Amino acid sequence: MAGITASDTDVVALLMRQHGDIRTLFDEVERATGNERRAAFRRLVQLLAVHETAEEEIVHPFTRLSVPDGEKVVEDRLREERKAKETLSQLDDMDPDSPEFLPALEAFRLEVMAHARAEERYEFNHIRRTAGPARLAAMAAALRAAEAVAPTRPHPGTESAVKNLMLGPVASVMDRTRDAVRKAMGRNG
Amino acid sequence: MGFNPLEHQGIPLERQVRDWRELDVDPVDPDRGDPYTRCRIITMNGIEVEAILFNHQFARHCPDAEVKRQLAQVRYVEAQQQKAVNWLLPGLASVLETTIAYEQVAVDLTGWVARHEPDPYLRQAYEFGVLEDFDHLYRYANLYEMIEHRKAESIVDGLTEVMPGRPTKFHHRDPYDNVRDPYDRGTTDPLSKLHALTIMSAEQQTMNFYMNVGPQYMEPIARRLYQEIGLIEEEHVTHYESLVDPGETWWEQLVNHEYNECYLYHSFMEQEPDPKVRAIWELHLNMELEHLRIACDLMRRHDGREPREILAPELPNVLTFEENKQFVRHLLDTQMDLTTLGAGYVRDAHERFQRMQERIHGGQEPPSEQVMAQHREMFGREYRMETEGPHPDIASREK
Repeated sequence: MAGITASDTDVVALLMRQHGDIRTLFDEVERATGNERRAAFRRLVQLLAVHETAEEEIVHPFTRLSVPDGEKVVEDRLREERKAKETLSQLDDMDPDSPEFLPALEAFRLEVMAHARAEERYEFNHIRRTAGPARLAAMAAALRAAEAVAPTRPHPGTESAVKNLMLGPVASVMDRTRDAVRKAMGRNG
Repeated sequence: MGFNPLEHQGIPLERQVRDWRELDVDPVDPDRGDPYTRCRIITMNGIEVEAILFNHQFARHCPDAEVKRQLAQVRYVEAQQQKAVNWLLPGLASVLETTIAYEQVAVDLTGWVARHEPDPYLRQAYEFGVLEDFDHLYRYANLYEMIEHRKAESIVDGLTEVMPGRPTKFHHRDPYDNVRDPYDRGTTDPLSKLHALTIMSAEQQTMNFYMNVGPQYMEPIARRLYQEIGLIEEEHVTHYESLVDPGETWWEQLVNHEYNECYLYHSFMEQEPDPKVRAIWELHLNMELEHLRIACDLMRRHDGREPREILAPELPNVLTFEENKQFVRHLLDTQMDLTTLGAGYVRDAHERFQRMQERIHGGQEPPSEQVMAQHREMFGREYRMETEGPHPDIASREK
């Protein structure tokens, strides 16, 4: 794959960059209108689905098993996630051009970013402390397999634009992400 | 305009202590607020930190127990002011985002001061510094994209360009050459005293910030870059503090500090669009008026002098956060290759400068160059935001 550097073998670096991509997508949704906004919002929801599914499959299990009191750390993260999902389900029912959409999106963005910061500060630093380079690399490979389900940025040499269009409903994205991750974990982990 | 802080009454000191509810300020939105609101917050935090540290130093040199107690009372209120101001920053922001905002402050605050400084020698000192902070902004912006996958334009919001300034690796000068000549307290324009105090305080806070947050990073390149730029901030504090006349008495310095706080809170109140933040600037101005009155009384009593003799008859023009793009571009075009020699400036890499460069770099590329190499390897390009056309210095254009 093109563009690989040392940090592509570090799951935490990859996840932090995904947090940046997620925030950039929020900006795109806000700036666009009409069908473009609808499309950007779908992309955002799908990226979040891939990201959160991958975390649930790759990162949280490691934290639970290997980090002292990791169970509690994960519990806090899942609570934040549930809250964000509630806000998301309200957003999902709204017409993106209606006046209540942007304030609701704003609230959602703040919840998602607070969750991301909490992960970075209270979970990821423990992962780096606990996992050796091989483990970080194995988790990174699994995360990249998940990313391939819904590419967050165009990968040179792949048909990402076409794939993005073919993503389909969120539930199926989550299913496919889970399958891809499990396959990769089985191979690497 | 026409505001003379010596003629206004503030809030009596005994009514200035706030309870927890009043200190519990609402932070600004990290993404949707005016970037210059965040710049004003960072500036005033630096000013309050200097107020506290100066006041502590004063107390340590003060044998009079009654004065010590009075200093302690004012200082406690200033410590509360610092909390109220700095706690306006949102916990949602990452350290690197706040860092980029600090460098935006350094560029646009120093840029404004340079444009309005009446004394040519002092103006040169600010112009010299702008190009260095401008380069730090560019290096941190590249680190930001590597670590967080975000572009610095989301933080500086197109108000400040992001591109190379004087290369960071050349900021490491022999400390001997970092000491400037001071202004003369008797003849200098009162505005010059305020400028020097403001920029010194802002750079000192930046130095403190980097020395504390740098080691919190896990990424080796981030740790190294904070170490390198943190050392340069020390040079900047040396550079700016040496502009202040060391002949000023403690009492006189105290008056200058309090007067400057009135000036800045008044300035920021005049331009603040966020009503919650504006209310804090206004409240703090009313507190500072009383601190100034107390400082003036102390000066009259212990120095036997009238503060009006050293102060301006009214506050100078509002110090404003605004774009300095054309001004910075002019400096990029004319002052990229300057360094310092003694208390002056030269264009050639003189012997002492060369020796220091060899010593600190040890034959290697410094972190500020490593970050660019790693960024290029990762993205195949640099991160820049040149909104007003290509870089004025042809050699600094992206290859």
